[in-house]
Amino acid sequence: MLQYVGMEFASYGVYICLFLALYFEVFLLISFLEKRPAKKTGTLPSRYPSVSMVVPCFNEDKTLAATITSLLNLEYPKDKLEVLVIDDGSTDNTRTIGEEMAARHANVKYFYKENGGKYTALNFAIERSSSELVGCLDADSFVERDALLEVVKKFDEDTSTCAIVPVMKVHNPKTLLEVMQAAEYTFGIFVKKMFDNLGAISVLPGPFSIYRRDVFSIVGPFRHAHNTEDMEIAFRIQKHGLKIVNAHTAFVYTTVPSSVRTLVKQRTRWTQGFLQNLQDYWFMFGNPRFGNFGLLVLPFGLALFFGALYMTAFFLYQIFASLTNAIVSIAVTGVYPRLAWPTLDWFYFDTSVMTFLGGATLIITLTALILGGRIAKTDFNIPSVFSYFFIYSLIAPVWLARAFVGAALARESSWR
Amino acid sequence: MKADWTKYVLAFLITTTIFATAFYIASNIDQSRIADIRATEQNIAIDLLSTETQFELLGSLDCEAIKENPILSDQLNTIADRLAYAENNLGSDNEEVIRLKKQYSLLEIKDYLLMQEISQKCKTKTVSILYFYSNADDCSSCARSAEVLTYLRETYPDLRVYSFDYHLDLSALKTLISLRKVDGPFPAVIINNRAPVYGFRNLEEMQALIPELKTLASTTAATSTKAR
Repeated sequence: MLQYVGMEFASYGVYICLFLALYFEVFLLISFLEKRPAKKTGTLPSRYPSVSMVVPCFNEDKTLAATITSLLNLEYPKDKLEVLVIDDGSTDNTRTIGEEMAARHANVKYFYKENGGKYTALNFAIERSSSELVGCLDADSFVERDALLEVVKKFDEDTSTCAIVPVMKVHNPKTLLEVMQAAEYTFGIFVKKMFDNLGAISVLPGPFSIYRRDVFSIVGPFRHAHNTEDMEIAFRIQKHGLKIVNAHTAFVYTTVPSSVRTLVKQRTRWTQGFLQNLQDYWFMFGNPRFGNFGLLVLPFGLALFFGALYMTAFFLYQIFASLTNAIVSIAVTGVYPRLAWPTLDWFYFDTSVMTFLGGATLIITLTALILGGRIAKTDFNIPSVFSYFFIYSLIAPVWLARAFVGAALARESSWR
Repeated sequence: MKADWTKYVLAFLITTTIFATAFYIASNIDQSRIADIRATEQNIAIDLLSTETQFELLGSLDCEAIKENPILSDQLNTIADRLAYAENNLGSDNEEVIRLKKQYSLLEIKDYLLMQEISQKCKTKTVSILYFYSNADDCSSCARSAEVLTYLRETYPDLRVYSFDYHLDLSALKTLISLRKVDGPFPAVIINNRAPVYGFRNLEEMQALIPELKTLASTTAATSTKAR
C-alpha cells in the first residue's frame, strides 16, 4: 500500500517533467511560427572582411589534411583567408601533416605548442591573428564551400552581431549510433535556430563558429571553463548583452563518436560543462535582465536535465519492481506466466493520461525534427528517427548521471 | 534580447490545454470502459433472469441444453478481467468501480445459486470456489492467491471461481459471508461448499485442496485472464 502511494506520488513528478518538456517545445514552436528561417539567397556580401580560421588539433593526423583542404576550398578571396593550424602538443603524425600543408599553401600557417588544452590553442591563435573575423574549425570537421560566404553575409546584415554559429550536420553517418546522432543534430538545428530567434544561443561549438575579433577585447580570451570553452564563451557573450546569431544556411559537417564509450565520454563532458558553467554563471539563472537566455535557456536546460534523470529513475524502478514481483510471484505461487499474444481488445489499451502526454511530446519532438531537417535540408530515415527516440533515451541517462556525479564532486571531465 | 512575456504566457496556456485535453480524453475512455462493463453486466442480468424465468415457467430445466451451453461462465470471467483492469486504473475507491463491483458480486451470487440448483436438478458435478479477498491493508497475499486461482480457472474452464471483496458494502454479500461463516484472515476460499480455508495456498497446495479437479477437463491453451 505504501509502495502504491509512493508510486502514485512519484508519478506526479513525471507529470511535472512532461509539462516542462512540453512547455519548452511549445515555446520553441511559437518562436518558429513567429519568425520562420529565411531561405538561402544568391546575393553576395557587400565586402569581404579578412578571416583567420583556427584549427586547434591534438593527435588528429587522420582528419587534419581533409579539414585544412575543406577550408582552402572555401569560396572566399584567398588573400582574405588564412588558416592557422595550432598543434597542441600532438604525439602522432599531426606535426608532419601540418608542416606539409603549410609548406604547400601560402595561407596556411602551422604552429606547434606545448599541450595546454583547446582553449590555450585558440588564444594562441587569436594573439597571432590580426584578421577582422576569427573562426574555429575542429580538426574532425569539414565545411561546405559556401559556408564562410553565408556567415559573412550574416555579419554583413547586422553590424551588432559579434559571433555566428553555423548549422552542424553529422559527417557521413553510417552506423546506427551515427544515424542516431544525425537525428539528434537535426533536432539541435531546430533548437539552435529558435534560440537565435530568442537571442539566447548558449554554445558556440568548435566546428566553424566565427567571431568578430573585437569581441575578445570586450569579453576576454577563451578560458578552460571545465573543458567546455565553447559554451563558456557563449555564456560570457550573453552576459555582456552581445549578439550571437545562427547562420542556418552555412553548413559544417562534423565527425561524431562511433562507439558508445566515446559518445558517453563526449556527452558527459558537454553536460557536466553545462552544469559547472551554470554554477559559475548562477547570477544569470532566471534573471530577466539576461532576456530569454536567463529566463528560458538556463532554467529549462537545468530542469530538463533533472527531469530526464528523474524519469529514468522512475521507469527503471517500475521495470525493476515488475521484474522482482514476477520472480517472487513465481517462487511463491508456483505459477509460471503463460506466453500469450498481446490482446487487441481496445479495453486493455493503455489510454492513461501519461500515455497521451508522452504521445504529445513525441509528436512535437518529431515536428521539431522535421522542421530542423527542412532548415538544414537534411533527410533522415526511419532507422535514424527510431534510434533517436529509443536508443538515445537508453544511453542518454548514462551520461546525465555521470555528469551529475562529476559536477557534484567537482571532478574534471575528460576530453577523450 | 528582452524577454517577451506574452510568449511565456501563450506557451503556458497551450501546454495547459494539451494537458487538459489528455486528461479529458483519458477520462472519456475510462467512462467508455465503465459503460462497457455496465452493458456486459446488464446482459448477464438478462441471461440470468431468462434462465430463472424459464425454470419457473417449465418447473424444470433442459439439462441437455445446460450441459451444452454452460451459463455465463465466459461472460463472468470477461467481466472479472475488465473490472480488475478498471479497478487498477481508476482505483479501488472509485465510486463507479464500487457500484460495478456490487452489481458484479450480485450476479456472481445469483449465478452461484443457479448453478447449485442446476447441479441438483441435473445431477451434474460442478466444482466451485468462493474466493474472498480484501483490498484493505489486511491481505498482503491476496494478489498472489488471485494468480493461483486465475491459473486454475484458465487450466480448468469448467471450474467456477467466484471472487468477492470481503469489505464490499452489499447486503447480499454480507448474508453469504454470514451463512458461510467467513471471518478471516484473508484470503479465504470455500471449495464446493466445504468449510472455509484461510490464508495463502500456492498452486500445489490449492490443487491438493480440490481433488475434484481431476474430474474436470483441462486445457493448456488458456487465455491470460485474471481472477479477482
